[in-house]
Amino acid sequence: AAEPWPENAALYQQLKEEQILLSDNASSLAVQAFLQMCNLPVRVVCRANAEYMSPSGKVPFIHVGNQVVSELGPIVQFVKAKGHSLSDGLDEVQKAEMKAYMELVNNMLLTAELYLQWCDDVTVEEITHPRYGSPYPWPLNRILSYQKQWEIRRKMKAIGWAGKSLEQVLEDVDQCCQALSQRLGTQPYFFNKHPTELDALVFGHLFTILTTQLTSDELCEKVKNYSNLIAFCRCIEQQYFEGHDKDSSSSATSRAAKRSLLR
Amino acid sequence: QSLEPLPMSGPDFGALGEEAELVEVEPEVKQEILENKDVVVQHVHFDGLGRTKDDIIMYEICDVFKAKNLIDVMRKSHEAREKLLRLGIFRQVEVLIDTCQGDDALPNGLDVTFEVAELRRLTGSYNTMVGNNEGSMVLGLKFPNLFGRAEKVTFQFSYGTKETSYGLSFFKPQPGNFERNFSVNLYKVTGQFPWSSLRETDRGVSTEFNFPIWKTNHTLKWEGVWRELGCLARTASFSVREESGHSLKSSLSHAMVIDSRNSSILPRRGALLKINQELAGYTGGDVSFLKEDFEFQLNKQLLWDSVFSASLWGGMLIPIGDKPSSIADRQATFKSFSLFSNKSFLNCFQFYLGGPTSVRGFSMYSIGPQSEGDYLGGEAYWAGGLHLYTPLPFRPGRGGFGDLFRTHFFLNAGNLCNLNYGDGPKAHLQKLAEYIRWSYGAGIVLRLGNIARLELNYCFPMGVQSGDRICDGVQFGAGIRFL
Repeated sequence: AAEPWPENAALYQQLKEEQILLSDNASSLAVQAFLQMCNLPVRVVCRANAEYMSPSGKVPFIHVGNQVVSELGPIVQFVKAKGHSLSDGLDEVQKAEMKAYMELVNNMLLTAELYLQWCDDVTVEEITHPRYGSPYPWPLNRILSYQKQWEIRRKMKAIGWAGKSLEQVLEDVDQCCQALSQRLGTQPYFFNKHPTELDALVFGHLFTILTTQLTSDELCEKVKNYSNLIAFCRCIEQQYFEGHDKDSSSSATSRAAKRSLLR
Repeated sequence: QSLEPLPMSGPDFGALGEEAELVEVEPEVKQEILENKDVVVQHVHFDGLGRTKDDIIMYEICDVFKAKNLIDVMRKSHEAREKLLRLGIFRQVEVLIDTCQGDDALPNGLDVTFEVAELRRLTGSYNTMVGNNEGSMVLGLKFPNLFGRAEKVTFQFSYGTKETSYGLSFFKPQPGNFERNFSVNLYKVTGQFPWSSLRETDRGVSTEFNFPIWKTNHTLKWEGVWRELGCLARTASFSVREESGHSLKSSLSHAMVIDSRNSSILPRRGALLKINQELAGYTGGDVSFLKEDFEFQLNKQLLWDSVFSASLWGGMLIPIGDKPSSIADRQATFKSFSLFSNKSFLNCFQFYLGGPTSVRGFSMYSIGPQSEGDYLGGEAYWAGGLHLYTPLPFRPGRGGFGDLFRTHFFLNAGNLCNLNYGDGPKAHLQKLAEYIRWSYGAGIVLRLGNIARLELNYCFPMGVQSGDRICDGVQFGAGIRFL
């Protein structure tokens, strides 16, 4: 039995225009897409300290009733407990496959985004540091930025990505996109005719990559090689985001998007 | 029950207070003759000076030369001894007065010799502290008299089961004017506030100047703090969760203290007035507010060794600009300054109310605005108390241990709320006057040295509003500053 979804459910993320980074925006968009697909309305609240408000330290998190849940995985579980699910129609094999692809996206795409943001010196200097510390006064902006960079670089070292070059990372992105593209084929969604959390996750990441202006277009180009992925993103955008407030997304077709997420 | 942090004790020769003993020679039967005899202090010797520079010594002892008769010499030498001790650079000071020997000796000439033992270059201390569900070991290092003019560098490191803090402090008095001094502090302090489900880590630097003006003591301080707030538990209320994150406070503050009491713990007479203001935001940072608060206490001795005491606290926090005040602005500034500079542990102002050290009969800081059980403090408060202290009934242990205890009867009242600064002062007063919480009761007070006191009271809380947490019946409290 479905529990009532409160009207004032809110999703928290960092400030859209000045602060949020590629990886966080992708994660947030994925959760927004998922909730849209479940037909659960949620309003997006932007706070400079969203990352610190989150119980796990990661954005986005949702505040539903008096519960706070962060990150896509736990949110999917939470929503399921309330009686809404997108993957109920799948059999065990498909569920395992879905989990595997979600792991792929998290391990490859998300890590590549983090690498680009925090380990590529050009991007770090020109985009990440100015944005990450923008809500804070000097010297706090520099301190927090460097602290986060140190933390991410340590994580990269732990998973063995510290030694990779940018070309290798982009190669990994390409391989990941290839796998996704092959799985998607000509279907509208990854499984049957209905979207699942995998679709939401892939949409979140690919759409953000396609519409974000970075120092170079290399990352974006890797995704654009696969036309079925672009079509997939456009389709989801049209179905779930158009008609709502224009702020939540912009058309994937306009490359020089006025509302580009990073400058 | 949590304890307020007790300041570090150590070989600190601060104000000796009423425990000071007079040194020297008992006046003998021949006192009258001695008093009438004119003397001249010809030489003042110092034995045992090492790294201490001469000029600061000169300031402290120059009065000795002005003495005209023997009793005067004794008194001035005693005062000089006290002044030397309060510099905090000598382990002990002995005074010897003798007649002058030698070729240039006058018949009524005197030699005064100060035999001093300097403190070692480095002193260390090691304590363990047990507090609110946490144990910690505290390591202290002190470099007294670093460059010879009573400068002091202190380093303290506290390693606990939950949090780690440290602090470094440099203190320099003006030679000849010990009450005028400045210090620079660097610190990282963490605190846990279970009544708000809040954790706070402060990393900061501050510089302060202390100087006396007539009978008052002033402190000017600039402080820059990087504050990090977090939730103490997953069940913290959303209002507290919203405050998590980082902020930078850069503030100037001024404090004035007039203290004529004979002791800071269980005084018998005298009054205390402390006024503190803090302006944040005009020297950087992203926190802007104006904070004003005061503390007033009056003590009067009555018949039969009993003391009547009245106290009044109040304060107001006015955010400047659009942003509302942060919960960190209302938290106790309990920082480890208390362990470094000579008296700032008295500057412990906070915008929380309730508990064994403020309005008794209520749980710790559990009065006023709250959200889901987490107390958020308020932007304006006042609290008052009337006390009657008497010796223990039947005076057991009189003249010894029993003197440390007092019975006390109290009446406390207070209010804490948020003000709407758009309304005028009349509306503010009205808001502070409605929903007054008050309590009365009696108990026993134990005095710990000259710094802290313990209380065990039986309380009757009244005027309880919904949301307040009370502690009616027996309540135990330990701390430094009580309402």
